[in-house]
Amino acid sequence: MDTTNFHTIKPADLPSPPQTAIRIMRACSRKRVNNEELSSLTQNDPLLTAELLRIANSSFFSHGRSVESISRAIQVLGQRALRNLALCLSVRDALKDCVIPGFDLDLFWEDGLRRAVSARLLGRLASLDADECFTAGLLQDFGLLVLFHLFPEKGNEAVEMRKMTPSRRRNREKAIFCITHDRVVEQLAEEWQLPENLSLALGSHHKKKDEGQARSPLSRVLQGADWLNALFTVDNKKVVLSRCNMLFFKGFGLDRQKTEEYIASIPSQTEEAADALGLRIGEQEDFSDVLRSANLRLIEDNVSYQELAWRLKKTLLERDRLASELRKELKLAREVQKSLLPVSREGLPVHGINISARHLSGDFYDYFSLPDGRIIFNLGDVSGKGSHAALLMAKISSVFRCLGRVTNSPGELLERINSELCATSIRGMFVTMVAGIYSPVAGIISLANAGHPPPLLVNRNGHFKEFPAEEPPLGILPGQKFREQNVELGNGSLYIYSDGITEGRDSENQPLGIKGLLDLIKRHGNLPRQKRLVEIVKPLRERPLKDDITLLVVEMPDG
Amino acid sequence: MTKKNKYYPVNRHGPVTVISLTGEIDMQTSPNAREQMLDILKKKGSLLVDLSKTKYIDSSGVASLVEGLQLAKSRKLSFALVEVSHSVNQVLQLARLDKVFPIHQTLEQALTAMGTQEQG
Repeated sequence: MDTTNFHTIKPADLPSPPQTAIRIMRACSRKRVNNEELSSLTQNDPLLTAELLRIANSSFFSHGRSVESISRAIQVLGQRALRNLALCLSVRDALKDCVIPGFDLDLFWEDGLRRAVSARLLGRLASLDADECFTAGLLQDFGLLVLFHLFPEKGNEAVEMRKMTPSRRRNREKAIFCITHDRVVEQLAEEWQLPENLSLALGSHHKKKDEGQARSPLSRVLQGADWLNALFTVDNKKVVLSRCNMLFFKGFGLDRQKTEEYIASIPSQTEEAADALGLRIGEQEDFSDVLRSANLRLIEDNVSYQELAWRLKKTLLERDRLASELRKELKLAREVQKSLLPVSREGLPVHGINISARHLSGDFYDYFSLPDGRIIFNLGDVSGKGSHAALLMAKISSVFRCLGRVTNSPGELLERINSELCATSIRGMFVTMVAGIYSPVAGIISLANAGHPPPLLVNRNGHFKEFPAEEPPLGILPGQKFREQNVELGNGSLYIYSDGITEGRDSENQPLGIKGLLDLIKRHGNLPRQKRLVEIVKPLRERPLKDDITLLVVEMPDG
Repeated sequence: MTKKNKYYPVNRHGPVTVISLTGEIDMQTSPNAREQMLDILKKKGSLLVDLSKTKYIDSSGVASLVEGLQLAKSRKLSFALVEVSHSVNQVLQLARLDKVFPIHQTLEQALTAMGTQEQG
């Protein structure tokens, strides 16, 4: 037969069952058929009758009840059981005598029986008629035998195909035969007038969820049975075992241990079923050894599907929980950190703003009045960002609060903070800082700068002066002295900023720079201090901040 | 190679190891630069940091240099910077870190100052 463009099987290509069997099946598919009619129909064929009775009494099918006649069999087992047995025999005998070079018929039936007993096991779990599942399992790959029967020249493909997983094998069928076994068996079921649920399940046991209607319970059973059988034929048992674990867990609620128990019972049941049906199969190897080796590899990789899925779910939940905890912690930490910043007070001629790039800031500023009316202030920037910078910032701000009350000069203040930091330096972290004391009476600020960007004195007429650092940042050189500079404030404003401002990007994504900062200061110079600082940093906040931004302004008191 | 696990080129000149911090030394790259520098100081000794090909350095990068300097001091080893690029120099000058690190113009001067001559 030519295989090109071959997509359908003609009814004449399909094997036909014995006439009596087909009559039994047809009678059973009618809604009302009485037992007497059925038994007389069967008894017309003495050979079939003898076979049916033998099978019905086999330990595999009898369920412990002995039956002496067909009518008794129908009474005890029911019409469906009779039909299923007749069908099994029809399937068995339909291509009994065919010879396909390279194709091992015994192996084919061994696989078929294994699918059948697997389907029976799974069928019970799904509360389906177990014998009907057995029959369906036996039938499910019968289409493949039909195909080899029609294309005997392809017989030598059978050995390799048997080693493939069900899905790969089906693709191979497509390539070789241009049609797949499930399509053939679907047609066969129609031709033999099998019940609709059976033919639907046989036709859909390879379908994916998204191909048409949802999988029926019987179709799920057949799919599971197919993979269970593959465990005995496919080389890469690890992959197949994972798939079985997944299918049995999702479809039948079996955990890994139960799945393994089921698998272990398959070989002996297959032998029993072969006996009952009079089929010849080779000795079934004990699967526990194979299972052990497959399992060992599973344990090595920890890849049982349901375990993996369960772990993933648990891990994701854990991650979400931790993330939310962390967010709460950071929020709390940020609140504490904000409480370290001074509360803006009416009348004080100093005002500051601090916006962190992350939750926590490595920048800080502080100011407070001294008993003699002078105001002490600082602005610092810890190297790096994040929680470690924030912790160091907290330490320094408390050191500043304490020492600021007992120190008379900003240079001395920086010197003392520096020795405090050098004593406990970690990972090279350092702090740039400007500290100053403003005397409103004298109109003079005394200023010390430890490696910080130069403060800007901006006059009303727009002229400005910078006060660059003369000493390195705090926390690097123990014993460092810090020189002071006196700044005549007059009616000008002293701006102290962190490099997050000058290195920040403006609305055109250009670094703001000193010039950009001066432009903004000039543009908003007439606004009240608090509002002014908010407006100055506004353009930088149009983009995500890369660094914390902090700005402090010192001016002569209002009025 | 990603920015994160960048390996900075290293050369031996007698007892002094020279590491070249190329590209941007920022929050992302400085942990790697730090680890490499500390490793050299612990295992090989004195370290000279070539900053000629450094395009940008932020405060976390400077902190890793400071840490290297502090470790070297505690172990009585030499630690210096050489051929500092313009952009790095601006950062060092502004923060007066030029007062902290020994800085040399050329490799030869640096090696001389660090008590060795280039070998071979």
